[in-house]
Amino acid sequence: MNDAIKIRLLQGDPIIHDVRSVKLPPLFRGLPRIEDKECQAGCTKCSEVCPTNAINLNPVQIDLGLCVFCPLCEEVCPEKIIHFTNEYHTVVDSREKLIITKQVKSISPEIASQKIRKYFGKSLKLREISAGGCNGCELELNALSNVNFDLGRYGIEFVASPRHADGIVITGPLTQNMTNAIELCYEAVPNPKIIILFGACAISGGIFQNSDSIQSNFLEENKIDLYIPGCPPHPLTFINGLLDWLDKK
Amino acid sequence: MSLQLQNNQRFDVSSIQFLTVDDFQNNVRSALSNGYRIIALTPIDKNIPEKIIAVVTDNASSSINIIGGQFDKSKLEFESFANEFPQTNYFECELSENYGYVPLNHPWLRPVRKQNVILGNKPYHFYKLEGEEVHEVAVGPIHAGVIEPGHFRFQCHGELVYNLEINLGYQHRGVEKLLLQSNSDQRIILSESIAGDTTIGHTFAHCSAIESLTQTQLSLRAEVIRTIASEIERIAMHLSGLGGVANDVGFALPSSSYGRLRTLAINSLLALCGSRSGRGLFIYGGVRFDFNDDIINVVKKNLEVIRNDVAEINNYLFSSIGVLTRFEDTGSVSNDLAKTIGLVGLTARASALEEDARINFPYSAYRYNPVSMITLSSGDVFARARLRALEIDESLKFIFDQMDNLPSGELKSNVGAIKNNSGVVSIVEGWRGEIVHIAFTNENGNLTQYKIKDPSFNNWYGLSLALRKTAISDFPLCNKSFDLSYAGHDL
Repeated sequence: MNDAIKIRLLQGDPIIHDVRSVKLPPLFRGLPRIEDKECQAGCTKCSEVCPTNAINLNPVQIDLGLCVFCPLCEEVCPEKIIHFTNEYHTVVDSREKLIITKQVKSISPEIASQKIRKYFGKSLKLREISAGGCNGCELELNALSNVNFDLGRYGIEFVASPRHADGIVITGPLTQNMTNAIELCYEAVPNPKIIILFGACAISGGIFQNSDSIQSNFLEENKIDLYIPGCPPHPLTFINGLLDWLDKK
Repeated sequence: MSLQLQNNQRFDVSSIQFLTVDDFQNNVRSALSNGYRIIALTPIDKNIPEKIIAVVTDNASSSINIIGGQFDKSKLEFESFANEFPQTNYFECELSENYGYVPLNHPWLRPVRKQNVILGNKPYHFYKLEGEEVHEVAVGPIHAGVIEPGHFRFQCHGELVYNLEINLGYQHRGVEKLLLQSNSDQRIILSESIAGDTTIGHTFAHCSAIESLTQTQLSLRAEVIRTIASEIERIAMHLSGLGGVANDVGFALPSSSYGRLRTLAINSLLALCGSRSGRGLFIYGGVRFDFNDDIINVVKKNLEVIRNDVAEINNYLFSSIGVLTRFEDTGSVSNDLAKTIGLVGLTARASALEEDARINFPYSAYRYNPVSMITLSSGDVFARARLRALEIDESLKFIFDQMDNLPSGELKSNVGAIKNNSGVVSIVEGWRGEIVHIAFTNENGNLTQYKIKDPSFNNWYGLSLALRKTAISDFPLCNKSFDLSYAGHDL
């Protein structure tokens, strides 16, 4: 008993009380910022090095759905036009909003329709489907339930069965071998239901976009509710995105 | 008859002697009977499947041996080694699945990742047990937790498990194939995504392989930063494993405490390189980020908390009678069995096998700053959990030693072109165990083959056998104590 109390005391108060305004270390690569400067004539360095073809030029655009947040483009840009900030509020509700241009300095919070908020706002249960994920995203989703982030306090939880769920969270580039399981799992979730994509692989295939072992028809056939970019996204990105979406304080 | 190498030693493809099928088989057989362990069975060029190599290692002499074999294009068959040496079983299945080889008289040829290749389009038949009160439990591919997909088929009699068959492949993304098509920047990102929980381990092996092929010499500082990051990853994942086993016996307080400490470990990586899993740290020729005073302070502060608290929590966990009752004699793998089926890494060391690549095949900074071999002998859940606790202490000691004596040097050395007609075997001890990356190049210096072996590839078989004669309710505990990777297996 004494030992248990001692360990509980060591634990202290590790919870992040205010998940809305945590400051991440400067090296953390979050929302990229594209400076309002001209590129050197004919320079294509950033788009050439990008391992996932996330960059379009004239003018410079970064697709966060493809970006794996490696610092390569930032490193090679001679004019230092691209810079990754440590901003982690990056959750959006449509694919187009993931395209970052010079004009985009921040990503505004998404708020779900009143109907969705009324339905899921008090308690949201999610079933996670790992579909070709490398376990990076899965680890971050698991971390959400630890004593630091404690997602459960907001009424958002991961459940064991799709039957108990209000929606699914997909990680990984949706492999062919998982096609059947994804369909079955999604079908088993009662209506109304939502789909959240977590990480670059789920959104676009990421570094695996050219693999012939992946099969992402499911995403085209169904409406996606939230896109959470990153490789893997930080747990705070997920929490903040969902709290905004469900309009929770 | 075989080519003898050291870890990360570049060699000319022409120095491999490709033997006739009979000689090849005899050589492999004699190596394995002399206690060598197989770590790869693969063609040296994916377009020329008839030229294959078997890579075997010997801990005692720290040597890696390559035995080459030349087959007839129209007759890719050989007498299976698996009956005599069960450790080759899965390697043969993989060779068969990927390149159409037929291991004659193989005891159990089954799909590794692609169900339809070996079986045509016929459904796969699981091993069946019949009798009164025999029942079957099927789990997966999607499990109850937030974990990767795999299918488990238990044949039970009441609570007792007679057989567990594990079918994987759901995460198959074609990593090895993509690595051959990719440019160098993409290859590093791909290797970071082989298994996201061993980002540093796999990227370490990949970069070492390429650096050997380009004959790049790293500065000592870069080597030390790499090994520190690798040890932080080990600490983080061992803490996660300990939290997992505590959770699986319903012991919430240590479980949540380990979770808290893991956050400190991965946040140390975040401070060092901006990613909680260590992405972006490795580049060919060195590392991208350096330890400055601020980062050293953050990392040391985090690790000191871990050092202090983990001792208390370990003490609490491992002195609880309830925990020990569940841990001891559960999911045991005897030393003999572990050796026969070729277990590696932490799981092997828990069965008293001295398998640690940091010591057997020293690489990078481990050559100058050795770590100690830690083994336990009971081979059960207790040993696998306890070993994690002991290894955390050893890793902390290593990191503090290194951080107090950081050598100077450039972060990144110049990397030249990849040498033509070369090969390399790179072995790294990830937190789970031995990671092997094997690369071959052609006359233009392009990669013709890239073979990856995650420790999980060896150890899934161990989990399946460890479950025999245990209670099905002990499965989660056994599974967590092995803590294997699905993605690393499925590639």
